[in-house]
This record gives sequence, structure tokens and C-alpha cells, in this order.
Amino acid sequence: MNYEYSQKEFELLIELFQMVTDFAADHPMDSGTADCRQNIQEALEKLGQTPYLKLGVEHVEEYNGVVTLMGAMEVVALVSPSLFLSAEYGVRVLGRALAKWGSQQQKDEFLRPLVSGTAMGAMALCEKTVNVDNEPLATTGEKQGDKIIINGRKQFVVNGPVAKIIGIAGTYDGKPAIFIVDKDTPGLVNHETEGALGYKGTAVSEITLTDCAVDETRVIGCSEKENMVSSLRLWENQVLTGASLGLMRASFENARDHAKSHRTGGKPIIAYQEVGFKLAEMLTLFQTSQMLAIRAAWTSETSPKEAVDLTLCAKVFCTESAAQVSGEAMRILGSSAYFGSNPVERAYCCARYGEIFGTSTELSRVKLGDAALGIKP
Amino acid sequence: MDFGFTKEQQMFKKEIIRFARKEIVPRVQEFDLQKKFDFESFRKLGEFGILGLHFPEEYGGGGADVITTVMAGEALGEAGVDGGLTLAYGAHSFLCADTIFKHGTEAQRKKYIPKLCSGEWIGCMGLTEPDAGSDVASMKSTAEKKGDKYVLNGSKIFITNAPIADVSVVYAKTDPDGKHQGISAFIVEKDTPGYTCGEPLIKMGVRTSQTSEQFFSNCEIPAENLLGKEGDGFNMSLQTVEWDRSALLAPFVGVSTYMLKRCADYAKKRVQFGRSIGEFQATKRKLANIRIFGEAARSLVYRIAWYKDQGKPLNHLEAAVAKLFVGDWSMGPANDAMILHGGYGYCHEYDMERIFRDSRLAPIGGGTSDIQKMIISKLM
Repeated sequence: MNYEYSQKEFELLIELFQMVTDFAADHPMDSGTADCRQNIQEALEKLGQTPYLKLGVEHVEEYNGVVTLMGAMEVVALVSPSLFLSAEYGVRVLGRALAKWGSQQQKDEFLRPLVSGTAMGAMALCEKTVNVDNEPLATTGEKQGDKIIINGRKQFVVNGPVAKIIGIAGTYDGKPAIFIVDKDTPGLVNHETEGALGYKGTAVSEITLTDCAVDETRVIGCSEKENMVSSLRLWENQVLTGASLGLMRASFENARDHAKSHRTGGKPIIAYQEVGFKLAEMLTLFQTSQMLAIRAAWTSETSPKEAVDLTLCAKVFCTESAAQVSGEAMRILGSSAYFGSNPVERAYCCARYGEIFGTSTELSRVKLGDAALGIKP
Repeated sequence: MDFGFTKEQQMFKKEIIRFARKEIVPRVQEFDLQKKFDFESFRKLGEFGILGLHFPEEYGGGGADVITTVMAGEALGEAGVDGGLTLAYGAHSFLCADTIFKHGTEAQRKKYIPKLCSGEWIGCMGLTEPDAGSDVASMKSTAEKKGDKYVLNGSKIFITNAPIADVSVVYAKTDPDGKHQGISAFIVEKDTPGYTCGEPLIKMGVRTSQTSEQFFSNCEIPAENLLGKEGDGFNMSLQTVEWDRSALLAPFVGVSTYMLKRCADYAKKRVQFGRSIGEFQATKRKLANIRIFGEAARSLVYRIAWYKDQGKPLNHLEAAVAKLFVGDWSMGPANDAMILHGGYGYCHEYDMERIFRDSRLAPIGGGTSDIQKMIISKLM
């Protein structure tokens, strides 16, 4: 056993925190203003110069894959949730699919620019509902001549409007597949989704594909033994777990600092037990989430079978804790969080995403219940 | 980072579970009903090597590290051993024996540790008083040195194992005007004149553990029964917190695994409206909640154990987080497990009723949840 990050990993977390904090200081990424998208693209390029975008995607010497990644995700989501979501959906999830199932040519052509931060990607999974666990994918690719013709509709595609490389999950020849589609491919139309509650700097869209033709070299398949959708979901759940850690930390630290500096009745409000105890519960949820998230990540590296359920445990616990902790933080900050834009209000709004997306907390509980009953998926 | 157990540890855990299921668990419900301590099971814990697991072999122990020791506690819970017996084991091995081992002279170690490891003697720790719970400095018991004796006066309350203990580590003030630094620790044996125990208290849960008051009335003990130096007592009591937040919490983690299995088995068999209740999503939700709690708590408890194995001083904030989480967040799963069993869950026939009662000690014993919140909010 070892409950500590190595010095090298720790240094990376500090470096990432400093880099994103410095950049975010004069490059807004979460305000929802027009310049956010460009700023996020620039930040991705900076992240591309660190090991961050490669973690979990490919082996990086001296780092521990998804275990290191979980700590790094916390740091990036802490400073800029929108940058985090764009990087994770745009690079990590698609990148991991390319790394796991892509051909060498696909890796050279798509994965390189993604992990170096020079190209924005997107991974389109959801269809008419968020739930793809119970509903078979309706998007299909059919071979016609030397082209694959794709038809379907994808919803809630993070980075959809800004991505150059878009991974479209569907079926090809009756088997799960991902089609890599360029944003300008005829037949692909992006309908931007307006008015999200959180992650205001991240562009989201609905994508329709009508007789969208791509070369066969753009199809990523997997072996029959593998469940492509489950893997994509697991990676997405890890992303949402990592986001929760960052959102909780932002909520807790801001609430704690406020409680120490804001005075009422002649003393800082942390001196009131109602506030101090609330903070203690928040920190307990945060630390418990951290430990569970990192252990689930470690299990995904060492024992993938066990990781399926443990990842769901972590996803449910961490996303629900983030919603709770950010809610309590709002109450500690009071009016200063409710009015105007600030990290706690931002975390409060973003935290709701985690409970809904990926494998929703409701569906996760059903799956965990099935696992306890010995019902196989 | 690495959260893995060695193969030896995993095998040992399985052995403990097998042993406990065969030798102890079949007796649990009956002893709980009678509110009696199961001496035979306790002795078997000694024979199996659990009572002295972390002590060096030369003192009759097993020479195990902290992780393995904590894992043993988890295994007992996972096997279905009741909270009363695991509490008795915790008070005996960690609060009493470990304090003697850590702070005792060689003579004290040799005299007490082998017999405590084997289970021939039972140990307890007398710290809490009627007016001094977590506020230890308010303790009123005194120990006055007279020649080659100390004379103890005062009373203790809620002392696990007191009515059955052969050996007691007792805290009393050698400097009544001093606060924390006025407290010293002593070894008191059961037949010492002036030392008596009250009748076992009637408790909500952990009923097989025997809990009572201790009374000291001009109780004379040899001066060599002082543990360490005068004034060291408070720090000694603090050191037991390391075990309290790891090995004593571990059975609660194990019990969550036991509950999950019992609930799943019941949900598969119990048929209502023409199908097993496991097919209803509300049942699955309860099963999921039990699993999530167990996994979350497990990481926290082993974190304390791992740092102790590394020889690092206890991080009091992390320790309080572990205690608070197990204490307050175990309520939901224990409640879920009981309700999932319906009327059977409310009756003694099924052990969910007992587990629910046993689990209610978690937010109280060893420092209430409110005390943990005080610690966390002060240290943050």
C-alpha cells in the first residue's frame, strides 16, 4: 500500500495548478463570454506541453496513469471547470478510445494533435437521451462503395461547435464503432445548445449526420469481447468524478476562507458551531471522495473487472458530494455567492452536471444493486 | 499510490472469515439476546492469534503490521461477528494492552502482554468519567503517592470490559490542579482492594460487550504500576486514538460487506407481487447505498493504518474525518439494511436489527461526531 503521490506527481499537480491559475487570471474561460472558447483552446495548447493530456491515454514515464490523472483532474477542475470539461471530453475520452482501439495511422493522424493540445476534439455519445446504457445506439455507418455513410443524431456533444476532430459513437456492420468525422464534412450539422446551467465556457451542441461520407480508415472498431460503450462510459464517469473533486475543493476552500475572514457579532463566522460543523462535514465529504476516487482509479489500472463497480461507487459518491458541498458553501458565503460570478456559484452550477451525465446516479445505483444481486449486465 | 493488499494478507483475511463464521458467528445472536459476554469466542480469538496480532512474537503476539491488524478487524465484521465482541477485542488489545506495551517497563510487558495476547486475561481502559468525556482534563479521579504506593480515588463510567477485566489501564490525576499534564496512567488488577465495578450497563447495542462503572476508594496499588512517568497519561490516551480511528473502525467497514451480502440474499429470496424484491429498483438503491458507504469508509480507515505503519505521527484531522464519516454516514446503510428486511429486519430473528443497534455506537464511542467536527473545524 501507499497512500501518497510521489514527489514527481506532486510536482506535476503544483505545476498544473500554477499554470492554469496564471493563465486564467487574464484569460476568462468560465464566464460564458465570447472569448472563452479561444482562451480554452490556448490553455489546451499550454496543457499539451505538460504530461496532463497524455495521462491515462498513453504511458508516461514516472507517472501512474489514471491514478496521477485523478489528482491532476482535481487541480484543473478546481481552477477552471470549463477548461477541464473541454479537455476531458475533447481529448481524454476520445484520446483513450483512439489509444485503445485505433490503428497506428489513426493514432498518428488524430491522437498526436489531440494530446499535444493543438487540435480540439469531441466525443459524441449521447443520442435522444443521455442514457446510452440501456438504449442501443441508433447512429449507423453503412458501407457504400469505398465510403462509409453515417446517419444519426447526437445530443449534448461537449466541444461539438469548436471541435476539429469529432468521434461519433454508433454501429458499423452491427458492431459498436466510433467514426472520426471532420467538422466540415458535408452532411454534418452542428446545432449549438444554448443556456447551460454550468460549464458556461464550454461549447455544447447537437450534431445531426445526414448521409455523411467518410473513408473506411475513419472507423474505429473493437473486438467482440469488448464493450465499447461501457468503456466510454467508464472513462466519462472518471472524468465526472475528477470534476467533482475540483468543484468540491473550490467550494470548500472558498467557504473556509470566507468563514475565517467574514465577521459577524464580533467574531469570524467559523467560530459559530453551525458554520464550523458545516465546514467539517464538507471537508469530510471532500476527503472521503478523494480517497474513493483515487482508489477507484488505481483499481481501473490494476484490476479492470473490479473497477467497473468501484468506478460507479466513486462516481455516485463524488458527484452527489460535490452537489451537497457546493450547496453548503453557497450558504456559508451567503449573498456574496448568490450575486455575481464567483467560484462557489460556478461550482454549485457545474456540480449538477456530474449527477446527470455519464451513468446517471440513478442508473448507477441500479447497476450497483444488480451487482450485489449477482445480476450480470 | 497503491491500495493493494499482499497475497498473504488476502489469504489471512479469508482464513479469519472462515474461522469466525465457523467458531463465533453461530453463537452471536444468542449471546446478544442474553446480553452476555462470550468468553469462549474471546478465548478463540486469542488462540487464533487475533488478540495479539500486532505485538512482537516474543511477547506472544503475531508480529503483524498495522494494515494486517486493521484488516483482521474488517474480516471479523465481514464474517458477521457482532459489534459487542469486536468492541471488547478493541478495548482489550488496543486501549489496554497496547498502552501497556508502548509505555510499560520490560517487567510490565512481560507480566501482562503474553496473557493479554492469549486471552487468558482480559483488559480494559478506564478514562471516561461521569463529568469528563471528551473533556479529559476535567477528570476528577486522583492518584496520590504515599511511599511505595499510589492511592486511587474516583470513578469511571462507560468502561468497556470493566466487569470482566483482569487488568485495567486507569487514568487519574497525580496533580489535581494540573490540567492535561496532571494526568497519569496506572495498571490496576481486578482483585485490588478498594477497586470495584458496577453492574453491567443496559445498552442499546453492542450488548455482548460488558460495560460498567469503575470505582476506586482508597485503592492502593504498588508504585511500580505507574505507566511511564507521572503526567504522561494524557499523551498516552491520545496515542490510543490512532488505533481507535483505524482498528476499532475497521469492523464497521467489514459489517457493511456482511450487510450487503445478507440483504442481497434476502432480496433474492423474498417474493412479493410475484417477483423477488431484488427486482424492485428501490431495493437495488438500498443495496447500492450500503456498497458505496463501505467502499468510501474503507479508504479512510486504511489511510490511518498506512500512515501508522510508516511511523508517521497521527494526522488528527484525517483521523477525525474517518471517525466522523463512519459514525454519521453508517446510519443510512444500517437503516436501509434493516428496512429492506421489513418486519424481519425489526425482529431479532434476523441479525439486521442487532447490526442496526450495534452501529449506533459509531457516532458516540471514542469521541462523538460533534467532537470530531470540533476537531476538524479547529484544524482546518
